[in-house]
Order: sequence, then structure tokens, then C-alpha cells
Amino acid sequence: MADKPSDIVQGTLDMLILKTLALEPMHGYGVTVRLEQISKGTFRVNAGSLFVALQRLQRAGVIRSEWKATENSRRAKYYILTHQGRKRLASETREWGRQVAAITRILEAS
Amino acid sequence: MSLLRNLADGLRSLFRKKQVCQELDEELDAFLEMAVEEKMKQGMSRTDARRAVRLERGSLEVTREIVYAAGWESILETCWQDLRVGLRTLCKSPSFTAVVVLTLALGIGATTAIFTLIDAVMLKSLPVANPGQLYRLGDNNNCCVMVGTQNGGSFVLYSYPLYQHLRDHTPEFTGLAAFASHLSDLSVRRRGDSAAAQPYKGEFVSGNYFEMFGIGAFAGRMLTAKDDTAGALPVAVISYHAWQTRFGSDPSMIGAPLTVNTVAYTVVGVAPPRFYGDTLRSDPPDFWLPLAANPDRWLFSPEPEWLYLIGSLRADAASEQVQARLTVELQEWLGSHPEVIPERDWKDIARQYIRLTPGGRGIEQIQTNYATALHLLVTLSVFLLLIACANIANLLLARGSANRSQTAVRLALGAPRSRVIRQMLTESVLLALVGGAAGLYVAYAGTHAILLLAFRGAHYIPIDARPSLAVLGFAVLVSLATGIVFSIAPAWMTSQSNPADALRGAGRSRGDRSSVVQRSLVIAQVAFSIVLLVGAGLVTQSLRNLEYQNFGFVTKGRLIVNIAPSLAGYTPDKLGGLYQRLEDTLPQIPGVLSASLSWYSPLGGDNANERVYIQGKPPDYRWTAPSWDRVGPHYFETIGTSLLRGRVIDEHDTPAARHVAVINERFARRFFPNEDPIGQHFGMGDVSHSGDYEIVGIVEDAKYQDTRGPSYATFFLPLLQTPRGEPIRGWVGAIELHVAGKPENIESPLGKTLADVDPNLTVLNMVSFGEQVARNFNQERLIARLAELFGVLALLLACVGLYGVTAYAVARRTNEIGIRMALGADRKNVLGLVLRSALAQLGLGLAIGMPVALAGGRVLAGQLYGVKSYDPSILGLAAVILAACALFAASVPAQHATKVDPLIALRYE
Repeated sequence: MADKPSDIVQGTLDMLILKTLALEPMHGYGVTVRLEQISKGTFRVNAGSLFVALQRLQRAGVIRSEWKATENSRRAKYYILTHQGRKRLASETREWGRQVAAITRILEAS
Repeated sequence: MSLLRNLADGLRSLFRKKQVCQELDEELDAFLEMAVEEKMKQGMSRTDARRAVRLERGSLEVTREIVYAAGWESILETCWQDLRVGLRTLCKSPSFTAVVVLTLALGIGATTAIFTLIDAVMLKSLPVANPGQLYRLGDNNNCCVMVGTQNGGSFVLYSYPLYQHLRDHTPEFTGLAAFASHLSDLSVRRRGDSAAAQPYKGEFVSGNYFEMFGIGAFAGRMLTAKDDTAGALPVAVISYHAWQTRFGSDPSMIGAPLTVNTVAYTVVGVAPPRFYGDTLRSDPPDFWLPLAANPDRWLFSPEPEWLYLIGSLRADAASEQVQARLTVELQEWLGSHPEVIPERDWKDIARQYIRLTPGGRGIEQIQTNYATALHLLVTLSVFLLLIACANIANLLLARGSANRSQTAVRLALGAPRSRVIRQMLTESVLLALVGGAAGLYVAYAGTHAILLLAFRGAHYIPIDARPSLAVLGFAVLVSLATGIVFSIAPAWMTSQSNPADALRGAGRSRGDRSSVVQRSLVIAQVAFSIVLLVGAGLVTQSLRNLEYQNFGFVTKGRLIVNIAPSLAGYTPDKLGGLYQRLEDTLPQIPGVLSASLSWYSPLGGDNANERVYIQGKPPDYRWTAPSWDRVGPHYFETIGTSLLRGRVIDEHDTPAARHVAVINERFARRFFPNEDPIGQHFGMGDVSHSGDYEIVGIVEDAKYQDTRGPSYATFFLPLLQTPRGEPIRGWVGAIELHVAGKPENIESPLGKTLADVDPNLTVLNMVSFGEQVARNFNQERLIARLAELFGVLALLLACVGLYGVTAYAVARRTNEIGIRMALGADRKNVLGLVLRSALAQLGLGLAIGMPVALAGGRVLAGQLYGVKSYDPSILGLAAVILAACALFAASVPAQHATKVDPLIALRYE
């Protein structure tokens, strides 16, 4: 780990959570762990931001939750992507791609 | 969809907070456990693992708060918290809360009451379909019956043929309706009913009246043009109010045969509940009758002008053009009817015109009469509200400062300034809302009381005292604005305090900004109060002068009864018999000292005038025509008007005897300035009649209509004397009785006697002379009573304000006073110390208020009777009362100050 883990790029946490949940339903801790694993430790997720985001997404109807047992037979709240969530993820991913491409073009122009 | 879910989720966490919290706790616990386990797998101890997690992920307690605070419901929740804290604080100091709520209730209540009245009287349109399209032909409220040209040429009253002409020649109106300019007394009995006929109010209206207003029937049908033709079956429409209150909403009323003034009528329908006719007034018509049914056939000739006209203009017509066209039509018609205008006025025909005025509010009688009163009331209530606000701001300021150390502790403990201000704002808004709600009640009661005062003697007032929605909004707005205004200052000042300073010794700081503001507010209140007190004194004195002036008659022990023989079917030839029977039987009633008959009685609302021609003198048109009345024997004796010279009218003045007249002093002075009027002759109509009546007596002047100006020149004729061949004008309409004891006691034996004379003779009205006179001053009385009320309230509020400020100052200076006393100051010194500042505020307030009161008096001057606007005794009395009350209010806390125990005071340190 060369750099210290940084906070997630502003405005992308929702999209990243959705992406994580698109793979499979997951509880809060699982989401942080997965985000950090996949980003290879680049991002660090604060519990406060995570749960606020989860509440917000749930209220927006893009994810729902249910209590289930974990593999260690602990009770945890699992978040599941809804149909609406899938659509939102798709559109946000497309938008992100467009923006990244644009930003890259700007940065490379000289 | 997601909005709904958001709402549902938020509500769930609001109302099932415990469960939601538990769930979140459990979720966060699981999160923590999983993270800790992960760390422990890497070989950390449990304690280390927990610490590491907290470092990496942040404190879970904070997380919980963040998640709570993220939803919209958390704002509601803090508001709810503020509200609860506010309620608790207010309940903890009930006297403070009571004073504030009462103050607000009175301030808001008064304002709302006045606004309700303004809304109901000045702003509301007639409850008809098309108020915006309605236009009235005419611009003043001249009444009743006129002949010839009108008031400076502006036509307001129209004859029946002229109405027909205008109606048929002005296509710009979809409908042009006419109605009598005054209501008629009706004597109504259901046919087959044995009870005596009852008095009602009726209005004669053209057949298209209801159609023009777009008014449909509540039940049955309304009048139509067909009903308004000569020879049509007489029909009537009853008002909803009369139908409900006088006939018990009896459905069989529709189609029922009625006897109206001895003529058979059929009720064809009931008007809608809110419809009160074309004029907002007390005791509106109970029945609407077609114009054609009016038994007085003279009214249909071209001379008498007695109808008001309102028309519904086509949407595409321009009112200015229609106005010009109407004026042309009027002049043409007058030109082609030479009999209407006396020859000497022909040159004025070209100057006669019609002004089209908006008619959405109908004939604006109350509106015109009460405009000044209502505007005055608005000013007063705004003053009161200002004082109330100043007072409350003052109380809150004092409290805010007293709570300074508490606020400082809150700020020191990390409460954000915005939250502290919000807390205080919530408290004030809460107070304002409670005050507003209480004020609404005060407003309801106040409107009711004002209506009763304003329409003393009315049976029914078609004005709703219930605050309308608009008024409700107004009250809430006023109370909220008040709350916010008076909360910002104290809250802001308190939040400005430096926590450290405040904690070090809040009690010691003196002469800071807030106390200057407080004092200015008290000074302003004193100034307001003196203005109101002086105003109240002036209008009260003016009312007393009006009510207790020398009217030229005596009201004590007098009773007035109004009757109308014409309604009982009397014909001119039967009048003599009726009068004789009344004159014979009335004095027989036990307790009656004397009784008399007349056409009308003084200050009962009636007045007749007519040009006279003096024998041997050229006609003189400079003067307004003198008033005249018909009176029977004992008339002047009964009403207490004294005879100055000659004799009064008596039993010998029969139609066959020499025709005589009695005149008043003013008549004598005007027409016979340098000669003896007795023995002179005059007459009415034209010069050929100048020998008709011989003057036989002069009586003192008495006021018959105008209570403020001088009495009118008046002549009195016997009841039945009239030039040969002419019908008798001026049938008896009033009976005057001079009784021993209370006039009210005679009412029931009198009713019996009248029923014995003729059961068809309806008593239209029975009232003591004093009450009849008193009703002339309804408006003045209303203003005076309200001004007194407002003055007393303002005085009370100013005293509360002064008391608050002084008490607060004493509380804050307790240790200073203690030190002074320890150093040897005595009671008197301390009293002086405290009262000096109260006196200074009082003095400054008076110095500011007095010139304003004087200026206000100048504005009032036109309304005052017999009192100068700068009346020194009123100014002095107001100042003395204010000073006495204020000093008393300030002396209470001053007395407390003298009882300060130096030891205890110093211990505060």
C-alpha cells in the first residue's frame, strides 16, 4: 500500500454501493470490505457516510433491505438491489463513463 | 413513488422511533462486531481491535447521530424538541405567559375584529351572480321621494316612466332593475290566521330585479317581469331569514295566501339564504313585492322620483360610453316631459347628468356612513397592536436578559448560535400562535359587540360576525409576524452575549443596549396611551354633549309608537274617526299623563320639507324648503316642547274650522325677520295657496333630524286640515305618550288599547323616546365606547410595560442597591433612585405623546360636537390619569427595592 487510503470521490459513493450490491445482496460491513478490496485499498469508507447513503438509497427505492443470517450465523441487515436500482446503476455507469472520457480528453489535451 | 416511500419511511422513524432506533443499533452493532472479528483474525486483542475499528471507521455513536440527522424527519424532531422546551418554559412562568397571551389576544383580537368588519362591510360584494358587471345609476344616497332636478344635477332617484325609458333605450344593459329607495312597512297576516297582523319590512322591486342579479329561488320561484304588470295577481317573495325565523321554515308558505296591507298576496318563493337585497343594512326586507303592486298610484306618474336603478352591463360595453349615453337619454326625456321640471329650472336641464358607479356592493349606505368610523377603528386597533407588540418585546427582552447566564451556559456547552435563536424563535412563535388563537375568540366576541353597538335597535343584521377565511389568514399572519418581530430582537441580543462575560457576572452589567431599547419602548407606549386617552376623552365628551344637549323636547317618561293606518286599509274619509277614537282612548290608559298623534316624531328618522309661499311676499327660493309635520292636540305638551307665543293646535282645529299653523322660532326668524308672524298667512304648492294657513302660535326650536346642526325652520299643521279638494298628505304615523314612571311599563296595556280600537292597526314599532333619540348616536357611541376601551387597554398595557421594565431594573440592580444601602442610603434615596428613571420615561412619553394627541385632535375636530380638539381639561385629565397609573405601576417594584437586605444582596457576589 503505497498511498494512504483516501475518501471516495465525491458523489460516487451511491453508484459504487449500487455496483457492489449488483453482484450480490450484502450487509453494510460487507459493502465496505468489498469496496476496499476491489479498489485495492485506494478507498476507505467511513461508517457514517455508508449508513447515511444506504438510508438515502433505500428511501429512493433503489435498494431494499431484509434481516438474514451471515455465514457466521450472525443476524445482519442485507441490502438488495431493486429493479429500479439496476436501471439507476446502468444510467449512472453510462454517465460516469462519459464524464471520465471527457475529463481524460481534457487532461490529455495540450 | 420514491417521494412517497421517503415520506412513509420518515414518518415511520418519527412515530415508531424506538423500533427504528433499535434496528439501527442492531445493524451498527453487527457492523462493529464483524469489523472487530476481522481484526481479531489478524491477531489483535479484542480491545485493540475495537480501537482500530473506531479509528478507521469513526465512532459508531457519531454515526448513529449522523444517520438520524440525515432524514428530513430530524428537522421536525428538533422543532418538536424546541416546542416541548418552549411549552415547558412557558408553563414554568404562568404569569408571564398569561400577560403575554392576554396582551396578544387583545391586540390581535381587536385588529381581527376590525378587519372582519372591514371585510364584511367595505369589501364584500353583494351575494349575487355577477357583482363585477353591476353598475348603479347615481353617485349618492339621497332618499325617498323627490321632484324636479336633483342635487347639483346628479340624478340618483328616478321616476317610473323615466326608468322605463332608460331600460328600453339602453341596450348596453343586459338588465336594468329598479327598486324603491326606501323600505316600506308591511302589515302581514296569513290568511285564515286569527292573530293580529305583524309588522314586516318590504321592498318594491321591478319584475326583472332577481333576474338582473342572477338570483335563483331557494324554493318556489322569484318574481318575473310578468308579475310586475298592472293587473297581475299580487305576488311576493319572502326572504330566507324571515321564512326561517318568523314562519318556522314552513314549506307550505310557498303558494300560501297572505294579507299584506289588507291586500291578498301569494308567496311564490323563498330567496336564497345569503341574499339580503340591494343594500347592506340592518333589518333588510322580509318581502319583495313587484313595483306594480304599490298601491300609491301617484308614484307611477312622471313627477315623483323615488326609484334607485342598478343594471348589469354587457361584458363588451364601456361604462364611460354608457354613462354619456344615459345622460343624453335623461336630458332628452326631461326635455320631452315639461311637467317634471318647474319652469324656473328649465335652464338647468342641460346640467342634469347620470353618473355610473360600480354597483357590486349595491347601494353603499353603511359603507358611506361607517367609512370614517371604520378607518378610525383601524387606526386605533393598529395602535393597540403596536403597543401590545412593544410590550411583549419588552417582556421578552427583560426575560432574555434575565436568562442571559443560562444562554451563556448553553453556548459554552457548544450549542450553535442558530439553535439558540431558533429555540427562542420557537417560543415566541408559540406564544404568538396561542395569543392568535385567543385573539380569534376575542375577535368573534368583539365583532359581535361592535355590531350590536353599531346597529342598536336592529332585529337582524345580515353581517356575519364569524371571521372569514381571509380574516383567519390575516390573524395568523399578524400573530406570526408579531411573534417573529418581537422574538428576533431579544434572541439576537442574547446570542450576542459573550459566554465568558455572561458567566463571569451577568447580574452586574448595566446600561447595556437592551435596557435602552426597553426604555424607548416604554416611552413609546406612554406616548401611544396618551394619544388614545385624549382621543377617547374627546369623543366621549362629544357624545355626552350630543346626547345631553337641549333638543327642544323632553325624552324622559315618553313613549313613541309607530303605526300606519294606510296598512290597515284606512281611506281618507275614515281617518277622522280613527284619530278621534285614539285621542279619546289613549289618555284613559292608567299611567298616561297625556297622549298625542302626529305624522312623525322627532329624531325618528323621518323628515318632510316643502316650499312655502308667504302671503304678500314674493316667492323666495334662496332658502332650503322648511320642514313640516302634522300634529294633533296636546302634541307639544306631550313631547315637552314649550309654546313661546300664541296658542298650540287643539281640538277645535277641525277640517271645517279656520286653517291654522304653528311655527317654530327659526321659521319665524327666517320668514318674518322684522314683523310679528302671528296672524300672517302662508301655503304650499304655489303662490295661489299663500292664504291657506294662518299662523297662530310660535313654539321653541326642536331638532327633528339633524342632531348636530341648528334646528330646521319648521311649521306644524293640524292632522286633517288641507286645502279644499286636495288629498290629505301626512297621515298619522306616530303616537306620543307622556307617562308616569317607566315608559316600558305602559307597552302592554297600550297594545291592548290599540287592538281594541282596531285589531288591524299593526304596531310597527314601540320604543321609549329616549331610546329613539339614542339610536341617532349609534355611530358616535360606537366610536366613543371603542375609544374608551382602547384607551383603557393602552393604559393598562403601558403600566404593565413600565412595571416590567422597573421590576427588571430593580432585579438587576439588587446588589448595587445593597451596596448603596450598606453605604448609608436610606429608603427615600432608594425609592428616588428607582422612581427617577420611571418618571423620566413617563415624562418623555408625555412630551412626545401630547403633540401627537393635539395633532390627532385636530383630525378629529370635524367629528366633535361642542368640544374643542385641544380641550385643556381633557388633556389634563388624561395626563393625570396616565401619570397616576404609571407611578403606581412603577412604585410596586420600587417598594420592593427598599426592602432589599444589604447582606443578602451582597452575597450575590
